[in-house]
Amino acid sequence: MNEKELVLEVSELTVNYGATSALKSVDLFAHKGEIVGLAGPNGAGKTTLLETIAGFLRQKEGDIRLFGTQINEFPVLKRRMMGVVLVPQERNNFPYMTVSENLDVGGIINCKDVNKRLIEEVYQLFPVLHTRANQLAGTMSGGEQRMLAIGIGLVSNASILLIDEPSTGLAPKMVTRLFETLGSIKELTGKTIVLSEQNIGVIDIADRVFGIEAGEVRFCEKTEDLDRDIIRDLYLGK
Amino acid sequence: MNDHYKKLGTLLALILPFALIGKVGYAQWVIGYVYLFLIQGYVAWFLFFRTNQPFFGYSVTMALGAYSTAILTGIYEWPLVLGILAGGVIASAVAMLLFLSTSRARGFYLSMISFLLAIMFPMLIDALRPITGGRNGIYFRGLRDMWSRGGLFALIVGSTVLAVAFLFWLMSTKTGKTFTLIAENDDLAQAVGINTFKYKLLAYGIAGLISGLGGALYVNYIGFISSIDVGVFTTTYITFIPIVGGSQLCYGPILGALIVFLLPDLLVPMERFMDIIFGGVFVAIILLIPGGIAPGLERLVKWAYKRLVRRRHDCIKPETQL
Amino acid sequence: MNLDAGITGIIMGGVLSLPVLGIAVIYGMTGITNFAIGTIGVFCAFMTWTFFSYGTVVGILVGLATSFVIGYVIQWFLLTPLSEKGGDSTLFFIVTICIGLVFTGLTRVLFPRPNISLLLPRMGTVRILGVTTSGLKIFAFFFALSVLFLIRLSEKHTNIGKSWRATSQNLKLAKTVGIDTQHVFAWASSIGCMLSFSGAVFWAALYNVSLMSGWDLTFLGFIIAVVGGIGNIWGGMLSALLMGMVMSYSGHILGGMWQSVVLYFIVILVLIISPRGILGSERSL
Repeated sequence: MNEKELVLEVSELTVNYGATSALKSVDLFAHKGEIVGLAGPNGAGKTTLLETIAGFLRQKEGDIRLFGTQINEFPVLKRRMMGVVLVPQERNNFPYMTVSENLDVGGIINCKDVNKRLIEEVYQLFPVLHTRANQLAGTMSGGEQRMLAIGIGLVSNASILLIDEPSTGLAPKMVTRLFETLGSIKELTGKTIVLSEQNIGVIDIADRVFGIEAGEVRFCEKTEDLDRDIIRDLYLGK
Repeated sequence: MNDHYKKLGTLLALILPFALIGKVGYAQWVIGYVYLFLIQGYVAWFLFFRTNQPFFGYSVTMALGAYSTAILTGIYEWPLVLGILAGGVIASAVAMLLFLSTSRARGFYLSMISFLLAIMFPMLIDALRPITGGRNGIYFRGLRDMWSRGGLFALIVGSTVLAVAFLFWLMSTKTGKTFTLIAENDDLAQAVGINTFKYKLLAYGIAGLISGLGGALYVNYIGFISSIDVGVFTTTYITFIPIVGGSQLCYGPILGALIVFLLPDLLVPMERFMDIIFGGVFVAIILLIPGGIAPGLERLVKWAYKRLVRRRHDCIKPETQL
Repeated sequence: MNLDAGITGIIMGGVLSLPVLGIAVIYGMTGITNFAIGTIGVFCAFMTWTFFSYGTVVGILVGLATSFVIGYVIQWFLLTPLSEKGGDSTLFFIVTICIGLVFTGLTRVLFPRPNISLLLPRMGTVRILGVTTSGLKIFAFFFALSVLFLIRLSEKHTNIGKSWRATSQNLKLAKTVGIDTQHVFAWASSIGCMLSFSGAVFWAALYNVSLMSGWDLTFLGFIIAVVGGIGNIWGGMLSALLMGMVMSYSGHILGGMWQSVVLYFIVILVLIISPRGILGSERSL
């Protein structure tokens, strides 16, 4: 067995919104080069988990470790420098800037030539973005904006990419294509990707799936060991 | 109910200065002055915080009341009571007109329109100097000729209590509850079929009326009004009253008025530093005691009470152990 | 005669557009309308006046540095924490007016005179279309114009400018791609204060500046920004020129007393008819 390096490790994470708790003692881990899927119904706490990892929310209890370093109190910016980038579900581009400017800003902390190379790669992955390079991001269709958001995440050269619900609002055909692309991103770049997804199709590309419901982790399985019944229970209840 | 006691307590506290009626002097005069702005402060509390209408034109409505009274009775020789009432009605009408004309704007722009009006109004008064006296102002005898100082003071205190009591009563009626609903969630109020436009118009009308009557009382009490008295800063200070005092509690404006209009009087020896202290104190209050002084005070009292009770509890403890 | 008023108006608009740009920059970036900006500018102009005896350049540099530091500190320690706590426009309105009060007070306490004027070189006289005006006024006008172009160019073509736009358009994403938004805010505030300071300096050179001029500068700057669409730099410039003309002509026709009344009246009308200003605002309020 080749156990790879542990990139992200979340242990016993508890997050509260005021008096109600959004996450209760959640454990999560991701190895290098893995796609980790967070499956679960709407309102289960997936977005909260991702935002806490990215630093937008503060945990009440628990630890977040990145490459073995504890980052509990790190602000967003410091986490980003360590390689954590969140692709939010909504409002995930700069609407009054062109596509190419969006990508420039995405890699704003990279060197110029690195940035150029990464942008080229993104254009190869999403040819649509290339043809729309000079269009304002806010004027594109929902699917194109979603691609741009992922493109911004890729250009940022993150070592761990947190993508929040990339398939929401996309046509089923687009969803399949998106998942294919994400799979090829993993093959090409070897990035670690944590993906929250309501869409059940996520299990086809993920290496490991965490089932989250009502702020708690219900199961954690490698995809090949995954029993379809568990998934059904997760979404439909027992 | 707790809230009822608070309202009752507030009114009782407001009546207290009646004890000073016989004692004509500086203290009485200052309290009367603070009360004149307390009325405006309560209007701001009602319109700005209870019904959530971003209106900054309190100095305008106040000035309209004051100038209408002074001009109508002074120049056109109307009877005084009629002049005062006309002041209130005119202010009310202008407030409603402002609301009607701004119904297209929302949020911050709306508040800015009334604020710009507050900037413009003293300039308009300056420009109309032949009638209004501009910066030099106009003197107005009015009630000062007919009533004694003490009587005038009693009138100010009495009308403040009346106005505040009226606002408290209004907020406890069904109309008031509707105001609260609109303040908390305008869209929801519309969705459940409330004609929010009508209610808002009513709120502006009431606020303008009280503010205008307060202005009419102002010119009767002080006996003089000029464009400097109703400048932009007047409206800003009036808005400060509920913000500093605590907009969520019914007695907040009293504390606010004490600080906003009594503090400068106490600071006269340090006049040069007044702006710095004034601005600094307000920024500090907003930053450090969010919600204003009244809630802060309440927290302090509760904390002190808890400590006191706990200490008593500690004393009893050994006995219970025995 | 009329042409004279027109040119005076344009130049007045040019000078006025500096604080307007300041307000537009701060608002566009941070979403905060800063009502302290004029008094800060005037405070720094007084600073320049104090150091003027060491040379014009020294004085102006001291003023620029002071305005930069003040803008930075206020944004960093006061306004950004407040906005992260979820302050709304009304709260910022109040807080920035209080800050303005503090600076009026500081100007009163720290400087020996309540009224100053700065003796900048007059730069000769220029004749345009038969109207004679001083070179300094022309310089003030072109200074404002070039600052506007500089801001626009840097927004479009430099990384710093792009990060500014990114921050104003989507704060959360800007943070997540690694833009130090707190610095961006502080810089915006600094630039705003420096612009307001340069407005105050020109004002002090062309007319004179007193303790309360700061408020005039703020309010004029604000209403002009409102007419142009707050945060919209082009709109601000255009409306500054328009409003300069309005002030000039109304003063010409109705007399000085009515100048401001007409101005504010027009602004209120514009707000009532088209609440987002003549060119609209990118940010929604």
